[in-house]
This record gives sequence, structure tokens and C-alpha cells, in this order.
Amino acid sequence: MSSSVSFWERIGLRSNGGVGDAGWGRTLVVAIVSLIYFLPVLFIIFTAIKPQALALSVPPTLSPTSLFGLIPEQFVFTPTLENFGSVFSRIMTVGGSPEPTGFDRFFFNSIVIASVSVLLALIIGTLAAYGFSRYPLKGNDTYLFIILTTRMLPAIVVIIPVILMFRAVGLSGSYFGIIMLYTAFNLAFTIWMMKSFFDELSPDVEDAARIDGSSEVKVFFKICLPQVIAGLAATFVFGLILTWNEFLFALLLTGPDTRTVPVAMNQAVSSGGRGTDWTLLAAIETLFLIPVFLVTFFLQEHLLRGVTFGTVRK
Amino acid sequence: MSTIEIRKITKIFGDFTAVKDADLSVAAGEVVCLLGPSGCGKTTTLRMIAGLERATAGDVIIAGQRMNDLPPEKRNIAMVFQFYALYPALTVGQNIAMPLHHEGIGSAETAARVNKVADILHLREVLDRLPGQVSEGEKQRVAVARAIVRDPNCFLFDEPLSRLDVELRHSMRGQIKGVLSNLSKATVIVTHDQLEALTMADRIAIMRDGLIEQVGSPHDVFAKPANVFVASFIGTPQMNLIQAQFKGYSNGKAKVAFDEQDVDLSVNPAVAGLKPGKLTVGIRPRAFSVVPSDTRDTIDAVAELIEPMGAETLIHARTKTGSDIRVVVPRDKRVKTGEALHLVPDPAQTHVFADNGKAVRA
Amino acid sequence: MSVTPATQSAPTLFDISADNWRLAIVVGLVISVLAVVTLPVSISFWIVGAMAALVAAAFVVNAYRRRYYGGLLVAPAIAVLFVMNIFPLLWSLGLSFFAYQSNQQTIRFVGLNNYIKVLTNDLAAPANWNALINTAMFVVLTVSAQMLVGFLLAMLFAKQFPLRKYLLILVLTPMMLSVVASGVFFTYYYDPTFGILSYIINSLGDGQFILMSNKAGAVAGIVFADAWMWSPFVMLLVLAGLVSVPKYLYEAAAIDRVSAWRRFWTITFPYIRGLLMLALLFRTIEAFKLADLVILLTKGGNDTMTISYHLIRIANEQNKTSEGAAISYVMLFMVIVLTNLYLYLANRRNQGA
Repeated sequence: MSSSVSFWERIGLRSNGGVGDAGWGRTLVVAIVSLIYFLPVLFIIFTAIKPQALALSVPPTLSPTSLFGLIPEQFVFTPTLENFGSVFSRIMTVGGSPEPTGFDRFFFNSIVIASVSVLLALIIGTLAAYGFSRYPLKGNDTYLFIILTTRMLPAIVVIIPVILMFRAVGLSGSYFGIIMLYTAFNLAFTIWMMKSFFDELSPDVEDAARIDGSSEVKVFFKICLPQVIAGLAATFVFGLILTWNEFLFALLLTGPDTRTVPVAMNQAVSSGGRGTDWTLLAAIETLFLIPVFLVTFFLQEHLLRGVTFGTVRK
Repeated sequence: MSTIEIRKITKIFGDFTAVKDADLSVAAGEVVCLLGPSGCGKTTTLRMIAGLERATAGDVIIAGQRMNDLPPEKRNIAMVFQFYALYPALTVGQNIAMPLHHEGIGSAETAARVNKVADILHLREVLDRLPGQVSEGEKQRVAVARAIVRDPNCFLFDEPLSRLDVELRHSMRGQIKGVLSNLSKATVIVTHDQLEALTMADRIAIMRDGLIEQVGSPHDVFAKPANVFVASFIGTPQMNLIQAQFKGYSNGKAKVAFDEQDVDLSVNPAVAGLKPGKLTVGIRPRAFSVVPSDTRDTIDAVAELIEPMGAETLIHARTKTGSDIRVVVPRDKRVKTGEALHLVPDPAQTHVFADNGKAVRA
Repeated sequence: MSVTPATQSAPTLFDISADNWRLAIVVGLVISVLAVVTLPVSISFWIVGAMAALVAAAFVVNAYRRRYYGGLLVAPAIAVLFVMNIFPLLWSLGLSFFAYQSNQQTIRFVGLNNYIKVLTNDLAAPANWNALINTAMFVVLTVSAQMLVGFLLAMLFAKQFPLRKYLLILVLTPMMLSVVASGVFFTYYYDPTFGILSYIINSLGDGQFILMSNKAGAVAGIVFADAWMWSPFVMLLVLAGLVSVPKYLYEAAAIDRVSAWRRFWTITFPYIRGLLMLALLFRTIEAFKLADLVILLTKGGNDTMTISYHLIRIANEQNKTSEGAAISYVMLFMVIVLTNLYLYLANRRNQGA
């Protein structure tokens, strides 16, 4: 009588599941690739915990620990958290004392502006996508294409009329203005993505519900929406990432109260005339990365839930 | 030679044992059905033969060669999946031709073989359609066609008819049986439908909770069930299983007591060796004769519900203490509700199961 | 019952009735254009807003009368897009027909002059054409790189394996970086004196390695940074397709002894084709607007000027606002043609299979 579990499976390197699963061998390969891909980001994070003096040293200091002697001493620095403190309170004038930088406000602004506009785009856009999908018109493709073209012009072209527009209506520097603008930005992608997902749903379940007397509203919420959660998650994540980091419009359309972090980051780093303040920049960016990182991490499972995309008809 | 043999096959998922020590031999040209309720391990067993699951222990031997360490690609088997698994982006013809690419034959011969198989299964007209454009029954035939277009070591079917409606099932059963009988390869069919098993199989292996309870011809599992589970699983309407007290054996009859009745039953002589105690008596509904009067040999019950079934009538009767007894009589035997019935079971069809559930039989 | 086709008894274009939303759209557009061209911004903006409200009202009446709910669902999105996008687009389109420089007060109507000047003028044209060609080059290079890398990454993550969740987020992080931060740090990486890249190469060979010393190096540097940041976008979309392939198809393929190559093309690819097209579409549109990385890394030096950066220079630094508008509409036209081509090809393949 023989045991049929192979050597590789027994030490955990290959999976013993069926077709389509992989074991720790795959994990190893992917881990190496992922870490290499992540290195530039890692460097930024490390720079954030570097003492300021070492920022531009040659040879570049790379690691916070010497990993038990694997890395030679010259590449190691001792980590510090002082840069994170500087984000929020810093010496701004030569010879002065530390003052609050207002970054707490800027972070707050970024969070509010990005999340509200992405959510708004998600709501309005999903409704519109449902409309385009379920009540198609003869010119549907044209309308959708026109929506797409709103994304095609570079910001610089529309920035002047938008500034003028905002000033005329008094929206300059207001939350409402920039949120509405970002919502418009995210609508194109939201509509295209969600329409693809809605197109994929089979109408049988909906028709059954309609026959049972459900109103259209109920059909939408109870039957259609739950099936497109993967699409909603993906659209939310993408929209968030794009809006979170947007710079040009934020620069010109937000005021001192509503400024977002990318604008503030640019200011904080390039002012002072002493060249780029690397550790400060790294610290701001590291902090700025955290919210998006967390949101993406928690929505990952929904992202991968797997919905076909109109590519294969049943 | 196309044979399948599994020896002491076991599959454990974490702390759940799906299949335990299963033994089975399938000869060339033989059709064996793995039959059982859902969760009994029959599909897992089939997948281990296919190589889609790795056996935790035991041997899978196909065509005389031990295949445990070989992936499905190297086993040269054909399988029809429950969900058909047709490639959605390829036409029916391309689906059927898919296994032939490996064999490196030219396109002319591929086309010839595909056409031949399409003719056998009446798929000629739909060869250029996509799987999404054909009916459920046609999809099923395409899956079968894809399996028989090649020359595999054996055929494996996973619940092939479960998604078809009753009429289609009926006709497909016959078609598949006809196709298989021409091909003389070992075949294993997994099903939960006993009618399918009884009509299509040369032998049936009944499984429950990972164990093979009995292997035998359809006749054997019907007429000589090895235990209570098999007895109750095979046969519609279900066999009557009566819990009784065994009092003793004399004059060729067993004295049993249940439901405030003492009955003398003609049973298999092996029952004589039993010690007095609990046992189960199994009698199929069609195994009764109705006699006019109450004797020591009769089981007495009152007819409660009459169900005409056409050529026969199904009577639900109740004993004095409320046990349910199902009796099937020919339609000209008229019975009224409330009528007292005196039933004598046919000795050849009276089964006795010991306290451990096993049949007591010489 | 409720999805009655709106074409049944829909009013033709010129019926005056409260629910003729097509007419409302046409009227709205016409009046908007006139207002934008003739009136000062503060007034024309409100007129445009009023037109948008008119169209919305037509949809509402349509929904009420004809049970055509599609309009209701679509209206809010159209309204937001109209106000936020159409108005600025119309404005700058109109501007391209005038000679307006933001440091002057005068506006002269010049018709197609700007466009002719942009496309044929020998003084400015080389810079414009150059920028266009550079942009085309960048688009091809960076989009190809993103599609390739994104696809490979997706294949890597396709199967389920331990720690998959945590490794995936590592690869997604580059996308989340602010362009400012990543651009600045990439200048550091590429820096000849302090940069890591130079340090490694210098210690391997001899002499100073300056990535940005010639066009090829500069382009490589920009493309590398851009592709690095955006390949995860492609990866995510392709991955969504890959995980949607039913497992039993792969099992059937194993039993049918299908080769890996064929398995990919006949089973996997159909599930990801649409998503690949979507990724291609959006990344191309974004790639045409490439400017931030160029500004940060090379400031356009070594002949890496892209059209978007060129526009910024023209509009901001040289105050040639009208010309900038004309250039951008030329570019818009090209992008529209290109994307139409994509969509046409994508639809053809969809019907083909």
C-alpha cells in the first residue's frame, strides 16, 4: 500500500488541491517579484524614517536594520519618527520656532473631497449605467463615446474656462465646486465600467421578480446591484486612486481652507529654496498613502470576485 | 485492456474523510454506477480516478498501470462533466475536436471523426453553433461526443443526466447505453438517481458517507441488499423496514414481535443463528399477498390512504401502534380506506437485518 | 410592462411638446453655444445651466408621460457632465477661433487661422509637430509596456496561493502614489551623483552613468516610471477576468490533454479580451495627456516634450491661449479617431467569435 502524496506536496511547495491552485512554491516566486516591484515605494517609506541628514548620502543608505549582518554597515541607518512630526508642525522661518503646518486640515480635506466625489460619481454613474444598459437608445454608443471624450482633453485646456466659471459662480475655493468637478471626472469611467457589468446580468431573474410584482426600484436594489458588487468595488478603488492624487485642478481651484494634500505637498517641499526636502516629502507621502492603501486592501476580495465582462455570451 | 481498479482509496480533506478504503474493479466494457445520496463521496471517488483529486491513500490503477502520480493529462481518460464544461468560445464542432489535437492527426481525419461521432449523436446540424446557442439536451450530447471521439482508457460520467428533464433523461439513457455498449471500455457513472443506475449499469456500487456499502448487479442490489441502507435506498416505493423483537426460530419460521403483533415469518435459514433481540424486517411493498383473515403468519394493518398509480395501487396502511406500511397491489384488488388488511410477505423477499444493520442471509 | 421602447410613439425632432427631450437637447446646445460666444462668462454660464435644467425637465416629463425611465436615470449624470465639461469644452473650442492672449484684453475673431497656424506655420510648427510625434512615441511605448507587464503580473496572481492577498496589495501600491512624490523620487533614482541606479552601474563598470544624458535614456527613464506606476491598473482588470474562468473548464482541458498554449487562447483569452480592450482604451487616453512625469524628470529636455506639456508652456508661459486651444483640439481629434478605431475593432471581434 503506498501513500500517493508526492514529496513536493508534503513539504508544502506544491498544492494538493485540484487544477487551479498553487502552493508555497508559487508564493515564493510571486513574493520575490512583488517585493522587487514594491522596492521604489519601500525606499520612499524608508526615507520617511531616515534622519534628515542622511537623505542624500553617498553611498545611499538603504535599510533601517542590518538584517543580522547581511547588509554592510554603510548602508544602514537608524530609523526615526521625527519626520512624521515635521509634517504637522515645523520650523517655517529661519530661526523661528515650530508652528503648526495645517496638514491635519489638508488630510481632512483630501479624505472628504475624494470620498464624497467618488461616492457621488458611483451613485450617479451607476444609475446612469443602469439606464444606458436597460433602456438602450438608438444612439447609445454615440452618447457613451461622447461621455468618454470628456476624459480626453488634457487638464490644461479646460482649466482656464473652469477657473473663470468657478469665479463667476463663486465656487472658487469651495468644497462644493471641487467635489462637483471631481465627480464629473469620475463619471466617465464609472459609467463605462458599470455598464459593462450590467450588460452581463441575465434578465431572467429580473423578469421573474417583475412578474412577482416587484417595482422597478426594488428590482434594481435587490437583484441587480448585489450581482455587480465586484464592479462597484473596482470602480470605487480606481476612482479613489485617481482623485486622491489629482494635482492640477486642486492647485487652481481650492483655497487655503480646502486645499488638498498633493497641493500642500508640492508647496511644502519646493518652498524654502534649499532644494527638495526629501525626508519631509517621503513622510507626507507615506502618511498620504495609508488611507488609499487600507481601502484597497479591504476591498480586494470584492475586486477579485470575478465577473465576466461581456466577453463571453452564455 | 481498458480496465479500472481502485484499491483502498481514501481521500481526506482537512479533518473530513470524504472517501474511506474504497475497493472497486471495472472490467473492459463494463458499466459500473456509483450510486448514493449527495455527500456520499461518489463524485470525489470519480475525480480521484480522473486525477482531478489526489488520493490521500490507496491505488488508482487504470489499464493495468498505477496512475496515482499522473495528472489527468497523462491518464488518457475521457470524462463527461455534470455541467458539461463545454468551451464557450468554440463551436460545437471545435469542442468535439479538441481532444484530438493531442493526437497529431491531420485536419481531414479530425473532421471525419468528428462527423462520425456527430452522426451517432444527431449533432450534425449544430456543429457550427456555439454552446450558448444550443439546447440543454444538445449540450449534453456534445459533452458525450467530445468523450467518445477519442480512444481513451475508460469513460467517466459525473451525473450526466441530472440537468435534463424527465423525458430527455429517458431518451438519453437509452442513447448513452447504446453508445457505450459499442465501445467496450470500462465506464464509471456517478448518479444519485437509482433508476438511472438500475437501467444503465452492469453493476452498481452503492456509497454512503465515504464507504462502499455494496457492489452488485442491479438485480443483486435489489433482491439481496447487503444492509438496511442499501435496502432502503433501492426500490420505489421504498422498502418497508420494521423494527421488531426476535423471539426465536422454529418450524422454519422466525417469531418476531412488533407493534403489539406476534408474527411468524418465513425467512432465510441463516436467521436461525441469531440470538433473540432487536432486528429489522425488510419487505418491499410489492412482496405482500393480501389474505382474507388474520393468522399467525399475517401482518395486520388498516388501510389509510389509497393512491391509484394506474396499473397498480399504492396503499398506505397503519399498524395498531401507528407504523407505516406501504403495500402495492394490482389495480383490480379493490381496497377501501379503513379496511383491515392481512398481509403475508413472500418468503423469498422477506429480508432480515441484524441489529448492526447487516443482512442476515446464507 | 415598464420597459416599453421609447421609440414607439416618441415625438419627432421638431414637435413642440414638453417631453421632446431630443428637441430640448438640440435647443439647449444651440442656445448654449450662442451664449458662450456672445456673452461674458458670468452670464453665459447661467444660461448654460438653464439649458441643462431644460433638458432635465424634458426627461422628467418623458418619464412621467411615457414611462421612459431611462431618461431619469441618465439625467443626473448628463447634467453634471454637461455643466462641468461641456461648458468648458465649448468655451475653449470657441476660443480657438479667436486670437486671445491672456495677457491682453482684446479678442479678435480669426476663424480657422489658429488651426492653420498650428498645423503649417513654420516658426511654431516644428515644436508642435515634434511634440505630437514625441507624444505618439510615448503613448506606444508606455501603453505597450503597461499592457505587457500588467498582463504578466495578472498571470502570476491568477491562481490561488497562500499570502496572495498581501502580495497583491504590494503590487497595487505604485498606482496609489502621488505623481509628485513618485516623480521626484524617480529623479533621485536617476540622479547621476546620488541616485541608486547610477551607484549600481558605476560600481559595476567605470565612469559616470547619466541616464538622462540622451534622448533614448530620458525616454527610457520616463517610460519606465510611468509603466511602473500604471501596470497595476492593467493587472487588476485582467485579473478580474482571469478569476472568472470557471474551474471546470480547466479540468475538462486537462482531461482533453489540451496544450498550455491552446488552453490559453481558447479558454482563458475570451474571458479577458474585453477587459484588455478596456484597459487599453483608458490607458491610451491617459497616456496622451502625459505631462507631469516629463515636467518632473526632464523638463522637456533631450527632446522629450509631449503635447500636453507643450500646451502648458504655450498657455501659461507664452500666453498664447487661443493657439493652445487649437492645438488641443487637433490632438482631441486624433484621440477620437484612434479610440473609434479601437472600439470598432473591439466590436467586430465580439461579433466574430
